[in-house]
Amino acid sequence: MTARDIAIALLIAAAVTGELLCCVGLVVMRTVYDRLHYAMAATSVPPFLIAIAVLIEEGWTQPGINALVVALALFVTSPVLAHATARAARSRRR
Amino acid sequence: MNVWLWGATALLLGFVPCGWIALRAGYVDALVALQTAGTVTTLVLILFSEGFDRASYMGLAIALPFVGFVGSLFMARFLGRHL
Repeated sequence: MTARDIAIALLIAAAVTGELLCCVGLVVMRTVYDRLHYAMAATSVPPFLIAIAVLIEEGWTQPGINALVVALALFVTSPVLAHATARAARSRRR
Repeated sequence: MNVWLWGATALLLGFVPCGWIALRAGYVDALVALQTAGTVTTLVLILFSEGFDRASYMGLAIALPFVGFVGSLFMARFLGRHL
């Protein structure tokens, strides 16, 4: 096992752990606003960790760039979704 | 089994809390769970793409955030006004 393989395994383990913690946070939290916080955290760090792992494995080839595009898409679109969902929750509470 | 597939298999467990919230909580909470499940699906597809060495899975992973974004926006708008 080379240092490259270990780095990839560590990045994947960190990403999976972070994502699963965010999923568990959905159940632990009580209000929709707290749950939104965890849902949006799931789109911030873990996708980039996986994208870095793919980039280490593949280099700047099509799969690596695609993984980075996916991570950026999740990162950019999630705040808009959080805003729209929080507005929906607020208007339903009134 | 390689490290990508182990990661994807572990990540599939994330659907359990999302499904729990979608079934047990209110409509908006279910929408939040759906958004999280979409993120988990996207990451699982990336890991599957690398693990099985299938580039076509990565195409799905690229499409899903954009399709999920539009669908969730419509659903949030609909929930806020009508349901």
